[in-house]
Amino acid sequence: MAQSKELYDAILNGDAKKAYAATQVALEAGADPMQLIAESMVPAMDEVGNLFECEEYFVPELLLAGRAMKSAMELIKPMLAASGQKMAVRVLIGTVKGDLHDIGKNIVASMLEGSGFEVIDLGADVAPEVFVAAVKERNPQVVCLSALLTMTMPAMKTTIDALNTAGVRTQVKVLIGGAPVTSQYAKEIGADGYSENASGAVSLVKNLLTLGAA
Amino acid sequence: MRFKAIFCQVFTREMESVISRSPHSVEAENVPMGLHDLGAEMHSHLQERINQADVCGYDAILLGYAVCGRGTEGLRAGKTQLVLPRVHDCIGLLMGGPSAYQSYFENHPGVYFRSPGWIEHQTPGTRLEPAFASQKRPLGERRTQEELVAQYGEENGKFLFEQFNAYRRHYSGLTYISTGVASDDVSRDKARAEAEKEGWVFDEVKGTLSLLERLVNGEWDAKSFLVVPPGATIRATLGEGIVDAE
Repeated sequence: MAQSKELYDAILNGDAKKAYAATQVALEAGADPMQLIAESMVPAMDEVGNLFECEEYFVPELLLAGRAMKSAMELIKPMLAASGQKMAVRVLIGTVKGDLHDIGKNIVASMLEGSGFEVIDLGADVAPEVFVAAVKERNPQVVCLSALLTMTMPAMKTTIDALNTAGVRTQVKVLIGGAPVTSQYAKEIGADGYSENASGAVSLVKNLLTLGAA
Repeated sequence: MRFKAIFCQVFTREMESVISRSPHSVEAENVPMGLHDLGAEMHSHLQERINQADVCGYDAILLGYAVCGRGTEGLRAGKTQLVLPRVHDCIGLLMGGPSAYQSYFENHPGVYFRSPGWIEHQTPGTRLEPAFASQKRPLGERRTQEELVAQYGEENGKFLFEQFNAYRRHYSGLTYISTGVASDDVSRDKARAEAEKEGWVFDEVKGTLSLLERLVNGEWDAKSFLVVPPGATIRATLGEGIVDAE
């Protein structure tokens, strides 16, 4: 039983300190870390996503919830490492070359982490060859590309092309997002998926991996 | 001919300049800047203005805009042709077109742009007021630390302010695009001062009014302008022509 209402509320209210404290209490009481994620963090994150869709929560609330989740993960990650439990899914994420915007990407990264995925954040202005190298070194299942400018969206295509050329395209699912990005564009450039917002990105990762599961 | 020009406030002086020299009758409608921060709402604000102009019998409705993050996508006029420059944004427009812009952009990553309009109507630290009374969402996340702390508390407020301004650390340059308008010198000085304050490298690019001039003169070559027939809709293809009518 790893349902912590305190943790759930702390994430929903964007309270990083309370999230940390609630996690501490739960873990000390013997809660299993993975179950804590599944039963307390993921539902909180789903609700945050719902509130965003209803336009009750906006970007600031997402950032605060993300920070609360990160705070809880600070305690959970070492426990998982210690017990040898690996996160089932590794996600690489970055803003494409020429683009320095990262707020959206940061929100997606923290929500993915809060869902129990391992997230490797390459930052912003990431060249295609850097994505390729990271795929080869870290073996993620998913690569998430972000762009905020119509000027830098073409770099999403060049990144996907680079993955193709390097022979690693088929070993990952490529998802794209960012304000001017569309599902149509995702199809045009050969991405595997597109999400309009951060919580959509989390569902997308889950769905894509279930479908592709060997 | 009779044109209606609906344009972004960022081009105020540039448009006034070219309109005054146009051989055509150009009725100017200056729209507050920052709409691109509203995402899909930009479209509805502009569509309303186009609808009002559409019934007035103009020979064309000229849009002093660009793709603007897809803010102009989906715009249409039922009875009047629409004309839109084929550029991604106001910076590309003032640089004279996509290839000049692309070339500068690729060689100068991490650059923040300013033009006379950007300096006069929106400088950092000044609050961008809601453009319209009907606006539900704030214009971007340009709130001050005080406002964020007041709404979210000391710690969360400071965190949010940090997050919203963290991008400034990624930037390494500020480029001023001069357009030859009367406020150029003063605006350049302010841009340079901003660069110094942020520790960014200052650069200047000589901009051009060519696209705006051709827009209001009715010189709409297919390479530089999208002419949307009445009833057709603007689409951002982001391909070679950048925009298309469908």
